[in-house]
Amino acid sequence: MGGAAALPRAQDGEATSPGCVRERPLPLGEQAQRWRRCRLTQVRWSRYGPEYRDPRVEKEHYRKPAAELTEEERYDRELRKTQLIKAAPATTTGSVFEDPVISKFTNMMMKGGNKVLARSLMTQTLEAVKRKQFEKYQAASAEEQATIERNPYVIFHQALKNCEPVIGLVPILRGGHFYQVPVPLAERRRRFLAMKWMITECREKKQRRTLMPEKLSHELLEAFRNQGPVIRRKQEMHKMAEANRALAHYRWW
Amino acid sequence: MLVLGSRSTRTMLKEITRLVSMVQKAKHGEQHEGQHYRVPLQDVKTVFPHGLPPRFVKQVKTFGEACLMVRKPALELLHYLKNTNFAHPAVRYLLYGEKGTGKTLSLCHVIHFCAKQDWLIVHIPDAHLWVKNCPDLLQSTYNRQRFDQPLEASTWLKNFKTTNERFLSQIKVQEKYLWNKRESIEKGSPLGEVVEQGIARVKNATDAVGIVLKELRRQSSLGLFHLLVAVDGVNALWGRTTLRKEEKSPVAPEELALIHNLRKMMKNDWHGGAIVSTLSQTGSLFKPRNAYLPQELLGKEGFDALDPFVPILVSNYNPKEFESCIQYYLENSWLQHEKAHTEAGKKELLFLSSANPGQLERLCAYL
Repeated sequence: MGGAAALPRAQDGEATSPGCVRERPLPLGEQAQRWRRCRLTQVRWSRYGPEYRDPRVEKEHYRKPAAELTEEERYDRELRKTQLIKAAPATTTGSVFEDPVISKFTNMMMKGGNKVLARSLMTQTLEAVKRKQFEKYQAASAEEQATIERNPYVIFHQALKNCEPVIGLVPILRGGHFYQVPVPLAERRRRFLAMKWMITECREKKQRRTLMPEKLSHELLEAFRNQGPVIRRKQEMHKMAEANRALAHYRWW
Repeated sequence: MLVLGSRSTRTMLKEITRLVSMVQKAKHGEQHEGQHYRVPLQDVKTVFPHGLPPRFVKQVKTFGEACLMVRKPALELLHYLKNTNFAHPAVRYLLYGEKGTGKTLSLCHVIHFCAKQDWLIVHIPDAHLWVKNCPDLLQSTYNRQRFDQPLEASTWLKNFKTTNERFLSQIKVQEKYLWNKRESIEKGSPLGEVVEQGIARVKNATDAVGIVLKELRRQSSLGLFHLLVAVDGVNALWGRTTLRKEEKSPVAPEELALIHNLRKMMKNDWHGGAIVSTLSQTGSLFKPRNAYLPQELLGKEGFDALDPFVPILVSNYNPKEFESCIQYYLENSWLQHEKAHTEAGKKELLFLSSANPGQLERLCAYL
């Protein structure tokens, strides 16, 4: 499993190089020729070498006047003037309302590259969550109103956090059979599983004429309260891991 | 349902930045520009059974209150209406502007004012709905060349009845009308009977609408009441339709009885009231998306039919109105995102919406 060292992570939690870089990629033309000769599908690689730095997109960082910078920041700025920097992805904005978790979820909901549709579904979901909570707030008494959360972003983050499994199962080949071995999951794998389960649940298990925002808002609110099908799936995963406890020593990392 | 504890602090905050509905509509002046006023929910049910934009209806349901912003175009219109000379022929006012600038809500503001002043309101919420997506077209019994639309006519009559309940018993029909061999309506019977007949017998609904409009036009000239004709999407009357006859040939707007009667209403040959209308590209058929001027949307025929009219431009928010809108959302805790309360957040909202009221509302919905 050990590959080359993973490239450094960007500040906002966005992975710069998906997967490990096994070898330095070749210049563009030669690489294309090799693919044509091998007829393989392209694996996730980063076209950047290790000397490329990640870009910094925050406005506040660049607006600081020169006098306020600390020693290291000044050094860092000087260094960046001569170093190579990767291009920022097209989806990062300098917007104050940008949220990396929401962006990742929108990308996972996207089908066929239709980002416009995925984004509008996401915004409609957030609006639906907000309106449902406002309705509940209006109907509730004064003490209950203090407990009702109306911020759709807080609900979204908490719901996904509640859906993250702690431990997962990995198929390991031993003696000609695949065994499901319980394994601690990395942070990004847990986030991915939570989002994937949520989206699959909303796509497959809905009535014929319900729209995605309606179903998704309902599932998010249930997950926020630690109920619902996605939470049950996480708990089943935990139970299976607990059941296969004896196979834990098959793991060697 | 009243929750006194939390509501009293909220209402106190509201009164500081906002006009309370205690101030009557008649007293709205230049100094109130940019401020919100609350329409009582009872009024919303009677005066606007069908007039408000759907997103606004959702907002009313979420907040539990209906608040309209007092803006310049509406103030201008109110000034004109307060000074109407009822002896002169009805003046036609046309609200026009780009998409999402607030034409429909300005129209609703004016309608509410007139309702409070006891005018009779004839409000067609969206004329475009009458020229498209109508599966049941009947050949009219009154005139064989024209077509009836029973569903649309009956829903309109129901809403008309809700708005103008008190007038229906006072106004008397001045002519005898025959529905069919057995049923007729006598001279001197109240207008309510015509409306009832239209609602009960859906086949006669379009003819009932025609009778109602004709009688109202005739009798407002006599001075018994003031008549306000409010049409949203008036460019539908002179555009094209997407309806087809059984032989698959397209139906022209004049061949629809509802549109024919409405066109007669829009002519300024009656007096005792006013005609306020709105152009709308959103529901229009076969018109490009960036068209908003009267000449572009009405076409030659429509412009000549409406000429002369008073055009009133409805534009985007100015900085004061924008700030007031944001304050309203903040007071109702509609902007839940932490960054939306900051200066940077407000600047970004201004940039993203470019002060367009419709866009701002859609942005703030998910923030």
